[in-house]
Amino acid sequence: MARVVPLADAVAELVRDGDSVALEGFTHLIPFAAGHEIIRQGRRDLTLIRMTPDLVYDQLIGMGCARKLVFSWGGNPGVGSLHRFRDAVQNSWPRPLEIEEHSHAGMVNRYVAGASGLPFAVLRGYAGTGLAEHTETVKPITCPFTGEELTAVPALNPDVSIVHAQRADRRGNVQLWGITGVQKEAVLAARRSLVTVEEVVDELDDRRGAIVLPSWAISLVSHAPRGSHPSYSLGYTVRDNDFYVAWDAISRDRDAFTAWMREHVL
Amino acid sequence: MTAPGRTAGTGGEPVAAGGAGKVMTAAEVAATLESGMTVGVGGWGSRRKPMALVEAVCRSPVTDLTVISYGGPDVGLLCAYGKVRRVVAPFVTLDSIPLEPHFRAARQNGVIEFTEYDEGMFMFGLYAAAHNLPFLPTPAGLGSDVMAVNPGLATVRSPYGGQEVVAMPPLGMDVALVHMNRADRRGNGQYLGPDPYLDDLFVKAAGRAYVSCERVVDVLDEGPPQTLLISRMHVDGVVEAPGGAGFTDCAPDYGRDEAAQRAYATAAADPEAWAAYRKTIDEGAER
Repeated sequence: MARVVPLADAVAELVRDGDSVALEGFTHLIPFAAGHEIIRQGRRDLTLIRMTPDLVYDQLIGMGCARKLVFSWGGNPGVGSLHRFRDAVQNSWPRPLEIEEHSHAGMVNRYVAGASGLPFAVLRGYAGTGLAEHTETVKPITCPFTGEELTAVPALNPDVSIVHAQRADRRGNVQLWGITGVQKEAVLAARRSLVTVEEVVDELDDRRGAIVLPSWAISLVSHAPRGSHPSYSLGYTVRDNDFYVAWDAISRDRDAFTAWMREHVL
Repeated sequence: MTAPGRTAGTGGEPVAAGGAGKVMTAAEVAATLESGMTVGVGGWGSRRKPMALVEAVCRSPVTDLTVISYGGPDVGLLCAYGKVRRVVAPFVTLDSIPLEPHFRAARQNGVIEFTEYDEGMFMFGLYAAAHNLPFLPTPAGLGSDVMAVNPGLATVRSPYGGQEVVAMPPLGMDVALVHMNRADRRGNGQYLGPDPYLDDLFVKAAGRAYVSCERVVDVLDEGPPQTLLISRMHVDGVVEAPGGAGFTDCAPDYGRDEAAQRAYATAAADPEAWAAYRKTIDEGAER
């Protein structure tokens, strides 16, 4: 059963140097507060996993937390490149970054396989792309019935998965709604998990379209109001589009980036 | 004789209020079937079975069907009418009566072929067909005699570490028949009970899909969005059939009619009683 603990304690307990860590949430409910706590605690050598690494991974990479990135699309949505990510790949600043690139469908299938206890997933993706030449975790598999060649991708079982949600009750049951991504799959696939929430309530009420992550599937829950800023938490906060635009200038320059992180995160 | 590709092209046209849309009768659904086809039936055991559609198939001239089902009286009735060449199922049961009597008789008399999978393997077979994949891996089945009684099954090794898992072939079907609590004329279907079963996978796995329902409504607003189980893009026909799952369970509209189910099972044990019971279906009006 999940315990409800302060965010700093949760990150200290769950995230260790060298871990594989997935922070999920698609446009909506991105766990920025938890990412910032990982930066403050100075975690190193992380393998970061995320379908759409955006600003929070730019920050983690720029602050030297990551050794490797497993992803399917990287960018500042609607704005442009992630300059810290680009600097790490092109110039090894502040340290080299290994990348493992997949398709979105491939990443979803990898989480589903991990959550299902399967060693791999099968899909028709990747055909006609160059990804298999560059990614060791894209391999062919032959159908034993038809002889057809398909793609097999290995299960993802992160050491830690972290997601943000609207609410939890005091027993650690988590409720989230609006645009959902692979939060459920990422949590179920992980060895340990942390959910940050806008609000801790006595009782979760019925809510159309909401999904519930049960307490027994989660390690820790932390109260982190506005914890998805500059992304948003439907019903609580709105997306700070201006910040995404502003990030382009902040992140282009190493010194400007470092100064911003010192002032706002560290 | 499975049709993996979808050919129906009438998925999305808006239907004016009062228009017929995809609404048809159970007899018209049955008339689209051809002998030798593979037919999937939704529901689970003796729960939310499209019995009005199944009875219409029983009244039609088709034979030699392969029936794919989490089996209940749908399978039993089709067996009793001699419509079945092969059953593909993880079980065939009436729930409160463990063994489906007609299915049992058909098996004991050796008049049907049977492909048996574990429930989980069966689900992966539906997923494989729904996703148009030639197989999907599953750990279910390993270490059981399901592998021995299905010599056509195969295993594959993970390209990552070599773990051996079962390769489940797709359970594709020409036609799927499912029963919903509500549907609209465009073919969207809604369940209001406690369990969707695998009906969404059946309609995706099928070349053509027909949805019977307790009531055709203009707006499917009696439950939250996740109760909108069946999308019109997978549906070719809608049949309004109040009581159309009876005697099986169709919560919350009605529960299983245990007395009617007992009467069915009792009649199955005696040829004369069965002849009388069958007459009610033979002469049964559309319901």
